[in-house]
Amino acid sequence: MNNRIQVVSSDPSVLVQFANRRSALRALMIPAGAAVLSGCSSVTRLAQEPAPAVSDEEVGRMRRDASGVRTFKNYVLYDQDGRKLYFHDDLIRGQIFAAGFGYAKCQGICGRISGNLVEASGMLGGLMGNPVRFYTFSLAQDSPADMREAMEIRGILGKPGWKYLTGSPEAIRYVRCSFGFFDSGKEDTQGTPATHTGMIRFGHHSLDKWSSCPGLGTPTSIASSVGWLLPPDRRPEFARMNRNVPNSARAIPGWTPSKPLLAQV
Amino acid sequence: MLRKTSSSPVVSRRRFLGGTAVAAGSLSVLSKQASAQVTVPVQVNFGSPATTPWVWPLAFARHAVPLPAWEALDPPVIPADHQRYDEFAPVKFYDMSVTEILSRPHPELAESRVMAYQGSVPGVTFINHYGEPVLCRIRNDLPLELNGIGSPDIITHVHNGHHASESDGYPGYWFSPGSFRDHHWPMIYAGGDWREAKGTLWYHDHRMDYTAQNTYRGLAGFFLLFDHLDSGNENDPNSEAFRLPSGVPDGPRWRGCYDIPLIFTDRRYDANGVLVMDVMNMDGHLGDKYLVNGRVQPYFEVERRKYRFRLLDGGPSRFYSFWMSNGMTFHHIANDGNMLPHPIETDHVQLGVSERADIVVDFSQVPDGVNELYLVNREMQIEGAKPEGVLLSYADSNQLIKFIISPERNVVDHSRVPANFRPLPEMDTPVVRTRTLAFDRKNGMWTVNGRIFDNDRADITFKQGTAEIWRISTAGGWAHPVHIHMEENRILSLNGKPVDSGILHCRKDVFTLYPGDEMELYIRFRDWTGRYVMHCHNTIHEDHAMMVRIDVVP
Repeated sequence: MNNRIQVVSSDPSVLVQFANRRSALRALMIPAGAAVLSGCSSVTRLAQEPAPAVSDEEVGRMRRDASGVRTFKNYVLYDQDGRKLYFHDDLIRGQIFAAGFGYAKCQGICGRISGNLVEASGMLGGLMGNPVRFYTFSLAQDSPADMREAMEIRGILGKPGWKYLTGSPEAIRYVRCSFGFFDSGKEDTQGTPATHTGMIRFGHHSLDKWSSCPGLGTPTSIASSVGWLLPPDRRPEFARMNRNVPNSARAIPGWTPSKPLLAQV
Repeated sequence: MLRKTSSSPVVSRRRFLGGTAVAAGSLSVLSKQASAQVTVPVQVNFGSPATTPWVWPLAFARHAVPLPAWEALDPPVIPADHQRYDEFAPVKFYDMSVTEILSRPHPELAESRVMAYQGSVPGVTFINHYGEPVLCRIRNDLPLELNGIGSPDIITHVHNGHHASESDGYPGYWFSPGSFRDHHWPMIYAGGDWREAKGTLWYHDHRMDYTAQNTYRGLAGFFLLFDHLDSGNENDPNSEAFRLPSGVPDGPRWRGCYDIPLIFTDRRYDANGVLVMDVMNMDGHLGDKYLVNGRVQPYFEVERRKYRFRLLDGGPSRFYSFWMSNGMTFHHIANDGNMLPHPIETDHVQLGVSERADIVVDFSQVPDGVNELYLVNREMQIEGAKPEGVLLSYADSNQLIKFIISPERNVVDHSRVPANFRPLPEMDTPVVRTRTLAFDRKNGMWTVNGRIFDNDRADITFKQGTAEIWRISTAGGWAHPVHIHMEENRILSLNGKPVDSGILHCRKDVFTLYPGDEMELYIRFRDWTGRYVMHCHNTIHEDHAMMVRIDVVP
């Protein structure tokens, strides 16, 4: 259940310019009391909020705030329950996640990729939901009902950590491109349902760790990619260093972990 | 820094890649012209802060220092972990740590947190010799909670090393902080043939899925190999020795050194001058600052004599076309670190990611009064996927190093460029099989023969001691510098034309495919067994599964 504060504005395109909700509030001069709770929203149809166009210069662009933290635009999205979510604030900031793209009626690669994701989530076990989340973004403006149906068929409806997400074409295009899944300098087919991207994006926002792998690989490679976002001593067993290889690594006697450097001056 | 293209672009000498008419104008114009159907333009990033060129001198890594004879590794090496260990018992032992350090590439940029081999970025320079086996212990002393790009896990690959699988740096054999791994480098010629000698190698991290990020963050260095012919002594009394310009700089000791390793990389920095990488880019990452040996646009004071420069394209995704700014010629003597049969006089060298070229530049040929020259990159590249196939004019080229040439003419130079180096070995092992390997992309995923790398699946099982023909090709609009581990191989043909002369008539470990190319290679694997890989060395592609596992079996 999402019971976070949502901002009501007649011009949400202003809001999405701000990764930080408080900044947005300040900019809009909306008193906090004017905000409303929408935690129990039960939207069944996708609300079509106007979204700002992404300028060419912003597609795939690295964005960081003043402290060097990677930021994304706060596009509005909706999950399978119709909850309204903000891309950066609700799905990225402080999260550890795997994110793929597809659509409910896909007869192409989605089935195999979903199967791999489901198996991978099984390997991650208790990490699903906290801290790991799996996102699937709809490339076909699926309604929440469509997404719920697809999740039910795939056996993941109600399982911890899973979110299917939909939104305006602009919002989904931004998400896809900001994750790097577009054809650079040529006809972009990675958002087209028939030829859409099969890549999975992995992120650990607070550690600024990012990777990706093909969704058509193995469930192990997907689950490992998630595990490898975590510090080695906090990974699930299957994502730890394999000692069963030729000339395997040995422990440094008396080793104590070195502290990460913090200075960046 | 990327600059606008020439108003009269020159077609690349290798080929014009794009098939697109490139008119005068800025890069933004070009990017839109690249395809009439562009719905998303080439990736655009913010620019790094401006820096003043030629502020700092060229820097050099220190030499790796072996342990003194009386000091033993603790805990001891386990010989049974290594193939043919007793046969090639190490005579030199190194103990090297990988740590996080602060490094500043330019006085106008900030210190950034980078990863370093033995406290050095680039990593310390290994100087090794055939016939002197080496054992190198590599300790992972990185923080467990490594913030920022890269993985705290590492595995070190000596690029072009002829090493057993367990010491080759197979990407799946990574290890985490608090652990060490012993690498046995036997320093033997492939097949026991002196004609198979290698010279300019490099070592870098090869951690599966994180090679681009870990090398970008600093884990790369030179690994130089010498023998009785390429002896590293321009005054060698051995009449057969090549006597090429010699003396590899050792940290601050560079005066009197004329064998100069140069690793070229491109990087980006944020508004604070801190190193950043766009890890979201699937085509490849391009920087807007050119670094040489870890410094942005350094200068180098040279004498009026011959120098051997070992050029290395350190990636992650940029291609180079090296020229001297006055158009002077030089001798190209080695391709991928392997001596050519004969030196080739040329005015340029083209490199794909991870390729190397050894060249000899004779500054005594520079006219009096000319005291400054530049090494420039004339390759035009506006996206990570490939170069444009357009040669930038000198005026629009990117200056990499400024050579400040001493006016002094009375310089002792006993070095030479002999007419002959090493002959090429015969390709006399019978071919038992032909394979076709297509480097391609499907649904935004990099593939080889439509398949995605799986650490747990052998794609090629190769019988040790046999030979095969591999036809490698690329489709679509991408270039792929294909690297094959363990053995060097030969190009039989390029796009149907036999390769029997020129710069590709040599031994190589990187085979750069430009869009539409097909190469036929003669492949052998000798001496060692186990897991190896072939992969695209645009490390962004490599990290996204454009890799093939090769199991060499007895």
